[in-house]
Amino acid sequence: MKKIIATLVIALCVVGSAMAQDGLSPERKQAIDSLALEKVRDLSKYIKIVGSKETPFSEANRVIDRAEELFMSDAEIGVSSLGSNQITYYRVRKYFEHLMRLNYDRVEIEWYNIEYVSDLQRQPDGTYVGVITIFQTFRGYDAEGNMVYKDTTKKDITVYVKRKETQIGGRTIGFWDVLLGDMRVKETTNR
Amino acid sequence: MKLARNIVILALTIAIVCPVAGQTIGEFKMDETELYAMTKQMGQFMRRFNYEEDQFGNRLYPKDHDYRSNEMRRKSLPILFDQEKYGKQTELQRYFIEDVTKDDSTYMTFLGGKWYSEVSTTFKYNGKNVNIMLFLAVEKEGLGSKWVLTNVYFSEFNKMFPTGELAEREKHFLHPMSHELDFMNIYKAFQNPDVIDYYASKEYQPDYLTLFFYEIKRGKLVFQHVDGVKFHVLQIKDWYFEVSWFNRSGLNSGWLMSNVVYMPEKEKNNLIKFYQPHQP
Repeated sequence: MKKIIATLVIALCVVGSAMAQDGLSPERKQAIDSLALEKVRDLSKYIKIVGSKETPFSEANRVIDRAEELFMSDAEIGVSSLGSNQITYYRVRKYFEHLMRLNYDRVEIEWYNIEYVSDLQRQPDGTYVGVITIFQTFRGYDAEGNMVYKDTTKKDITVYVKRKETQIGGRTIGFWDVLLGDMRVKETTNR
Repeated sequence: MKLARNIVILALTIAIVCPVAGQTIGEFKMDETELYAMTKQMGQFMRRFNYEEDQFGNRLYPKDHDYRSNEMRRKSLPILFDQEKYGKQTELQRYFIEDVTKDDSTYMTFLGGKWYSEVSTTFKYNGKNVNIMLFLAVEKEGLGSKWVLTNVYFSEFNKMFPTGELAEREKHFLHPMSHELDFMNIYKAFQNPDVIDYYASKEYQPDYLTLFFYEIKRGKLVFQHVDGVKFHVLQIKDWYFEVSWFNRSGLNSGWLMSNVVYMPEKEKNNLIKFYQPHQP
């Protein structure tokens, strides 16, 4: 809850000055991109915590709850591998539970220092939609410490940006609400 | 020769600038050079095509000096070609780049129309997996836009409507006085279902999208999965090209031009009709 309030305050501070405009100026777009990137970085952090074998079960479940809050309620995660283009669909919670149950003695999950943010396009109801692309590397080790699995995945994450209003101290304040939507996870050529 | 030199300069620029972003994680060195060079989204393809993003990945806006700079585009466009196919065919590449960077050059825009997505899919049809190509276009609606289905290609549908020999087609018609006979002869049109469409107007074109919807509504076609996506771009004056996804190592990967054809505007109509038979 504290985090939601903090994000809201940041959202108000960052984009509040441009509220009167209808379109998205480059400055406002950059401010919204920052909000969206913050959510994506949270997601990256949560994936790393839940994937780690050192994270206690109860802590992992708490983090999965946080991760679910980043997404729209109907968001899905579509995963494919180099061997097959066929997409396996997971709900957010299932995806994280699957990650938690992977059968390795130790895993390493790292993120490349690349975040590509698309333009925002409006959908018919006026909500802005964008896609942020990030890359992750995953390594799974057996009990002897041998690496038995490795992949690099491209994650294309939908970002929904909607103008909303809230009452603070009797005043109506507009802000941009950012939520994550469907995420496409595609294995890239082994690097 | 000059073009090849420019490609090398661009690749080197990326290679020189980007290793600073490489990270050491445990005993592994993560080199991000290739991921920077990769055209990661179709939107990035458009930005790079128009030079709305510089070689370091910075977004450019109309107020920026190099925004849509044709001089910079001449240097950066080669990296958007599938170099495995076009690396040696520098003549077409050179001509394309020269043409699209003239003073009256055209740029790619998301809402500019004349670009289509081809989604290769698998459906279950009569108990068997079949391949169906879906064509989609961006359509403006309400406060924004959306992707809409514009056509499908399914070989079973096409087999139902063969063009047929002209001599055979000419045998099948209702004579012009049939109305005076209460169309008592119309039964002949329905005797052979294979040629029923010969009795339609010469303007008639089968509507494959309607057939597709019909079969889905009847439960005969059941969606299984998406197999791949590519784009057909007809937005650029006198050119048609495809953009496909190349999942490979090196500095030439991601969304790249896989098929480039010189096509004067008047010759594009048939192709556009194939992707979108019903124009808005």
